[in-house]
Amino acid sequence: MSAPGKTEPTEIIARARTGDTQAWGDLYREFAPAIFRFCRRAMPTREDAEDATMEIFMKLRDKLNQFDQSRSFSAWLYKIAANHCWDMLRRRKARHDKDTDDIDDVPLESPEPNQLEKLIEERTSEEVRKALDTLGMRARMALVMRYYSDMSYDEIADALGVRRQFVGVVLLRARHELRQALGENTAIAVGGNR
Amino acid sequence: MSEAEMNEKNRANDAHPDEMALLLYVERQLDREAAQGVSVHTQTCTRCLTLLRALDRESRLLTRSMLEQDEPLPARLAEFHAQVKRNMQWIWGVIFGLAVLGVYALYTGYIEPWQLQLEQAGFGSGNLLSLVVFQGAFWKGWQSMFSLFEVLAVMTMAGFGLFAFRRYLRRGSAMAVLFASLSLLLVVSTPASATEFRKGDTVTIKKGDVIHGDLFVTGEHVRIEGEVDGDVYAFASQLDVSGHINGDLIGFVQTERISGVVDGNLRTASNNVTITGSIERSVLTWNQTFNLDSSGKIGRSLTAGGQTLTVDGKVGRDFLCFSESTIISGLIGGSVRGRGKDLSILSGAEIDGKTVFEGQKEPSVSADAKLASPPEFTKIQHKTRERGGVYYVWRVIWTGAFVLFGLVLAGLMPKFAMETVDSAGHLGASFGLGVLVFFGVFIASIIACITIVGMFVGLSSLMLWLVMLFAAGIAVGGIVGQWIMGRSEEFWPFFLRIVVGVAAVRVITSLPFIGGWAGFIVALWGMGAISLALYRRLQPSLAPNIPPVPMPPVSAPLPPNTTVGGI
Repeated sequence: MSAPGKTEPTEIIARARTGDTQAWGDLYREFAPAIFRFCRRAMPTREDAEDATMEIFMKLRDKLNQFDQSRSFSAWLYKIAANHCWDMLRRRKARHDKDTDDIDDVPLESPEPNQLEKLIEERTSEEVRKALDTLGMRARMALVMRYYSDMSYDEIADALGVRRQFVGVVLLRARHELRQALGENTAIAVGGNR
Repeated sequence: MSEAEMNEKNRANDAHPDEMALLLYVERQLDREAAQGVSVHTQTCTRCLTLLRALDRESRLLTRSMLEQDEPLPARLAEFHAQVKRNMQWIWGVIFGLAVLGVYALYTGYIEPWQLQLEQAGFGSGNLLSLVVFQGAFWKGWQSMFSLFEVLAVMTMAGFGLFAFRRYLRRGSAMAVLFASLSLLLVVSTPASATEFRKGDTVTIKKGDVIHGDLFVTGEHVRIEGEVDGDVYAFASQLDVSGHINGDLIGFVQTERISGVVDGNLRTASNNVTITGSIERSVLTWNQTFNLDSSGKIGRSLTAGGQTLTVDGKVGRDFLCFSESTIISGLIGGSVRGRGKDLSILSGAEIDGKTVFEGQKEPSVSADAKLASPPEFTKIQHKTRERGGVYYVWRVIWTGAFVLFGLVLAGLMPKFAMETVDSAGHLGASFGLGVLVFFGVFIASIIACITIVGMFVGLSSLMLWLVMLFAAGIAVGGIVGQWIMGRSEEFWPFFLRIVVGVAAVRVITSLPFIGGWAGFIVALWGMGAISLALYRRLQPSLAPNIPPVPMPPVSAPLPPNTTVGGI
């Protein structure tokens, strides 16, 4: 996994680990936009995303010496971000949120391929982002981890606390939720039996 | 179904792979054998190939949508602020300290004097809120339902809160809570006893007629000659009560004459009130002219405000008055405490308690009057014309409290705060709406409060109105600050503009002569801005018309980790 559009700033990371504040600032400026966007996609409000971004970098600074330099820094950073955002969302869920756990056992209907193609063709990025905002927190988190930060199924399973074999199901259900949200404002129906 | 089961299934039969298998194939999560099966199948099955491509395009649409840089990094995050954030913790200590100071000022300046005066007038009570709301100010049944109404009041406020912040909540749950609380409110607030409504130009409850339950009556001329076995709520031009009311009489009447008997309390806002009959409990009245005739009797205390108050009859306990002119020639069973221009105690007057008067002239006391002790007089000082250092120190403290109030509001609702300040920039709309809200909501809240059914809504609206009134100066301060320093959408610069603006507004509203009017204008302006922002927020938002991101044709190369149709 690599950060979207990022190369590994190995030297900056090494200097930041030694306490070089200039290097830390460079590292922050390098990765903060991508992490903020990650949080913006994962969290329900902009304010939450801003808070989460700041807290993730505070965690990162505390944990930077634990980073194994033989591995991908951005993958490690996204793992921290995903864990942090998921923790925040779970804490919030405990208070007042709902999730889609209760519908996990509902069988999914496969979409009609041509209608699905039509839906995808007609939807804009903006509409997709708006639809994402309406999803349950686990569905949205799974999609963000997979399609924004390109995390592996193992990493997603680890972050969400589910079995690796269950990740595909989570992603598929998330896609169905998303299609439903995208289709709500149109006459396009993507359900159907095969 | 898990991926392992999926793989097993695809090995076991050669039927159409389902969507799960196709997704895992696109995601390169199938094992080699299962992937081979899907690949072979999609070479001959157009339907599955179409679905496979659709899933892949969906993946790319998702990635594209998420990676698109639709908003810049907020300036707050431009640099790492962990150190600053920690250093800023002290400000919460300051906020807490100043907030406590503000509350103390509010209590000592406004609440405590009123509380003391009301207690001295026989309204003995531990706190003002319970006095006004729960201890029979409007409805004698409050006392027994104290706990229930407390809970319901909180639930109602919570419902409004959820509604206001519904954008941050799951819509379904917020609406469920809101409707549940409103439903409960409607169910519980239904009056237990029968209530009769009478309306007409002239409404007469004839002698011999008995109304069982409360009576709501409106009309040009209302006469109650018979008996009402409950409370009476009257809205009329003229009200004559010569009959018997077993409960309270609550009236908004131009001219009110009571020659009969009211077993409960009298609460009234009228132009003229004349009592020649008997009120068994207390009287709370606000009017131009109040006259307790020599034959009139009030069993407990009398609290009256108005232009001219004449007490010729008998008051069982204390008399508290706020009037231009007060004349006492009857019997007061307790003390007299008054504030106004002048107080005359005529011959025939008898006051069993202390007489304390704060006014412009020393009270005129007849030699024949019987007083328990000589009157205590305090001349009213026109403090507004003699503003000393203490006054300005308190203005600074209050300004600090307003700024902190603004900080809390802006911190809790940064986006709404900015929208409110932007709304304040629309002067015409803000003023227009401000006039409507300032008068309309206040009057509607009061009317709702005096009717049992609308008590919760009335109190909630009144609370909201008060919060808006206090926040009005902050909203206006925000726009004034922006005019002075320019616009900024970042939090701390935005807050700095509020500070500067609030300070400027406070300076203007502190000026002699014009300060009061300036404050009134600020209240209208600010309340209008808040209302406008609320109104806009409640409108459904339209998505900007952003052109679609062009999708590559189906034949375009796929990302390296995907394969379609075995190619």
